[in-house]
Amino acid sequence: MPEDAQQPADEAPYIRLLSVKRFRGIEDLTWLPAKGVNVLLGGGDVGKTTILEAIALLLNPTNATTLSDADYWQRRHEDGFEISAVMTLPLSCGIVEQRKSVWPWEWGGDGAKLPDLEANDGQPHDPVFSVRVCGTTDFDLQHEICQPDESFDHFPVSVRRNIGVVRLSGDDRNDRDLRLLQGSALDRLLSDRTLRSRLADRLGETDVDGELKEEAKAALAALDERFVFRLLPSQLGLGLVGGSGFSLNALIGLMATKDGTKLPLSSWGAGTRRLAAFEVAALHQVDHPIIVVDEIERGLESYRQRILMEELIANPSQVFVTTHSAPAVNAAVGAALWYVDAGGKVGSLPASVAAQQKRDPETFLARLAVIAEGATEVGFVTTLLTRSIGEDIRRHGIRVSDGGSNSEALTVLRGLAASGLAVAGFADNEETQEGLWQQVKDKLGELLMRWPIGCLETNIIPHLGDDQIEAFITDPEGDAGERLRTLADRLGIQDKSLAAILAATDDVRQLIVGAACGNPPADPDAPNDQKKEWKKHGQRWFKSTAGGAELAGKMFALGLWPDLSPQLLPFVNAVRTAVGLAVVQTVN
Amino acid sequence: MSDATVAEALRSAAPLVVVEAPGGCGKTYQGASYARDVAPGLGEGRLLIVTHTNAACDVFAERTRGLSRRVEIRTIDGLIIEIASAYHRALGLPADVGAWARRDPNGYAVLADRTARLLARYPMIALCVARRYPIIICDEHQDACADRHAVVMSLKKAGSMLRVFADPMQMIFTGTAAEMAAAEQRWADLKNAADRFEELDTPHRWANAQPALGAWILEVRAALRDGGQIDLTGALPAGLTVHYADNVAQQNMGFRVAGNLSQPIYARANLQSMLVLTGHNDRVMALRAFFNRRMPIWEGHVRDGLSGLVADVRDRQGNAAGLAQSTVTFLGSVATGFSPTAFGNRFVAEAQQGCAKPCNGKPHHLQAMARHIVETPDHRGIARALDYLRGLVANEPAFSDVKFDHGREFAEAIQLGRYDDPDDGFAEIARRRTHARPKLPAKAISTIHKAKGLEFDNVMLLPCDRANFGDTKAARAKLYVALSRATTSLLLVVSKAKPSPLFKT
Repeated sequence: MPEDAQQPADEAPYIRLLSVKRFRGIEDLTWLPAKGVNVLLGGGDVGKTTILEAIALLLNPTNATTLSDADYWQRRHEDGFEISAVMTLPLSCGIVEQRKSVWPWEWGGDGAKLPDLEANDGQPHDPVFSVRVCGTTDFDLQHEICQPDESFDHFPVSVRRNIGVVRLSGDDRNDRDLRLLQGSALDRLLSDRTLRSRLADRLGETDVDGELKEEAKAALAALDERFVFRLLPSQLGLGLVGGSGFSLNALIGLMATKDGTKLPLSSWGAGTRRLAAFEVAALHQVDHPIIVVDEIERGLESYRQRILMEELIANPSQVFVTTHSAPAVNAAVGAALWYVDAGGKVGSLPASVAAQQKRDPETFLARLAVIAEGATEVGFVTTLLTRSIGEDIRRHGIRVSDGGSNSEALTVLRGLAASGLAVAGFADNEETQEGLWQQVKDKLGELLMRWPIGCLETNIIPHLGDDQIEAFITDPEGDAGERLRTLADRLGIQDKSLAAILAATDDVRQLIVGAACGNPPADPDAPNDQKKEWKKHGQRWFKSTAGGAELAGKMFALGLWPDLSPQLLPFVNAVRTAVGLAVVQTVN
Repeated sequence: MSDATVAEALRSAAPLVVVEAPGGCGKTYQGASYARDVAPGLGEGRLLIVTHTNAACDVFAERTRGLSRRVEIRTIDGLIIEIASAYHRALGLPADVGAWARRDPNGYAVLADRTARLLARYPMIALCVARRYPIIICDEHQDACADRHAVVMSLKKAGSMLRVFADPMQMIFTGTAAEMAAAEQRWADLKNAADRFEELDTPHRWANAQPALGAWILEVRAALRDGGQIDLTGALPAGLTVHYADNVAQQNMGFRVAGNLSQPIYARANLQSMLVLTGHNDRVMALRAFFNRRMPIWEGHVRDGLSGLVADVRDRQGNAAGLAQSTVTFLGSVATGFSPTAFGNRFVAEAQQGCAKPCNGKPHHLQAMARHIVETPDHRGIARALDYLRGLVANEPAFSDVKFDHGREFAEAIQLGRYDDPDDGFAEIARRRTHARPKLPAKAISTIHKAKGLEFDNVMLLPCDRANFGDTKAARAKLYVALSRATTSLLLVVSKAKPSPLFKT
């Protein structure tokens, strides 16, 4: 047993650095994936699937892959492509036992680095290997290991097989893995090399002539006579014959029994087929293969998506998953979330957004996520944007999402803004964390609407005219009683009529603001019961999604828009621009 | 029987097995048969045999034929070069580490030092090597310097099982006193660290020809190792002859015995096979004269004269006079008769003056020789000059006193002219020499040092006196190496006037 040497032997292999150059739709991508499950999010056609296929090609357990010019960026096969990875590998994969010695590099945080005799950091060493696959200009694949002396040696199939890659692809190609096609997962699992010839022998013995109907026999006899006449080979009969492009094994597929009948697995539902193919692939693999799952939700109900995601997370394997599914994102607790933007950049969604992932997974699946700091803001912004765009904003990929609170929204916005995911924000100004808010503002510009001071209520209510007070207080059902009650309570009067209230206060707007915001009594020594009671007042006003929508509706109905337009219009236009709509002068 | 215990120890699960293996006791047989037994069961891993010479590699390769997938055989320097090549950029070395090491006078030592440090600092590298080679057999481990030993030990630390064969009595004592003490300490430490320590003690090499001589050599080895004397007073074993005669030569490194005492020596030299051993290079020359130049000198694998010439050529390129001077120095080390006074000075002067003066006779020939260097003032010119000299010696009576003692080395200097770069040429010639394994002549005169690893039926060792064999560890080892070369007969020419303290007479 080595004394102080590290023991990577039982560790699962994993990719530390992935670099893809000129492969399919990706011109140049560099990415440092996480050790466990990596969930890749992002819109269509941004290259998520290509990343998965690049990994699968790099670790391809066979050499039987043909390339076409579509595998090259812009079909420019004359430039070649290269997929390289720096990997932590357990020595049990046999990489150092090849014909030629293979040597480790040291992990340098962002790539493989050479050992350094001068460095004296005393850090434990983190050995990695550097591997790549190149598509040559003449459509050949070259798997290679990059040695620390910058020479390249062959990256053998046996080592790739021992590292292992299990693939659950998004398209219906998984049907292939349920058949005994050469190189399919089922073929590799059974690895019965002589089955084909044994079956051919058996089929050759089949008496086909005997099965023919009488008329058919007569036709065959007539043909035989003709052959004799023409001096062609005669004594004709029928038998099973092979031919090029025809594979006996392709006819053999996995069967399962359903309701007493044996059926090919390929006739089951899409989700079952996928999971079946996945299990076939996983079973004959080494302990912890690298797993790539394209569109985890395909054919799977929400609960199966959740179960699959949770199983993947519990597994020590490194996993790459793409998804557009909210349940899958929601279940991906402990996984690393990544956002692939339209430029092919992979941005990290930091762990700080985990709460948002639980709260509203769709945030990460939208074309533009608007993080509103609370329910009121969600209702308000949804109404405002719907009004501007003139139709359901979801049709434009806009998701207005509840950020949870002012500070939570800030955390989420910071995390998302750094990831490359398109994001907007709508928040109060509580005069806290100014520096961090400023950083977000610098990044998002007008996409962040943060009041210069205060909140929705404090910014809207002061604009009310005297004649608008009653209409403002009255809720959409035409009832004003509960809200008047909160005002009367705050004034300490029994009579909750508007007249009595107006008589008891010299600033009714400020009074309404206090009630709508649930502000506590001015006296800090007020009884706790009263503090609690006053806090609840907000719920009677706009502290809900519906309340926010009502507030927006009233802003327009009562003609307050011109007062608020300077604050809100730049935000509306920034959102419109982000989803490809023209800038407008106002919102009607 | 130690053979059985050693075989069992090798096959045990002990991580470190150390076998003290005197020459001729079957260590190669033990090592190779262990390799044959264990290698097929190693799975993906391989068994590595680490030797010190290419010749030893060949012997093991022959004995493990058919196992090349499972058994790799390398010199320790070959292994070090492979590791250092992979990390040459980290070690600050050029890409072709092997060529660099051959070229640099200190190359192999620097390489071993840096590789040992690399493995100590990066156990991950040792771990990969150990994974590849779960079992390592070290042959002749007494010859491993501190850094080479450290390389091997870091592989053990990383998990390789180690099987070490060593004969501390065959250590090469060429370094400083401190280095010798360190080497002894390493051996002591290795024995202490061993999970199993065994000693081979059956003199197989002598079993057929002269068993009594074999047994005596092992006895003598123990005596020398343990600080004792070789007792020549009692009955001597069959095959051993002691001839008492003093070296009465006047010159420092000469050799001569009183007329009446030379006869038994000459008589013995007439045997079909004979290896004449002595302590110093210069005395090898004297002995060649003593035996009337009838016996060739065994040149071994070392070419001190040629490597000096190559180093000079590098520094003196374009300087004809300087190159001529180097040529004279080289000839002094490989031949007799081309002395400065007889030929050398005139030869250098011709080169200096551009071979301008018309002349005749002997000077004319020297001028023609020097002209090659004037016209091509580099190693190629020297090669042509030497080739010209070879013709003169064969054909011109004036040059008939020039005798080539190191004929191979002289021929290699001429071969050097075929290469564009003298360093590359020297490296290539050295490589061919080690792989070609020159056939042993039936008779030879050699230093003890160069005779390491050789076996001859008949051996004589002379002179055995105080100057050559004082009471030092180095002398004890040297004496044992000399004695153990003989398989049938051994003649010792022992001094009574200046007795060696290692003999009891």
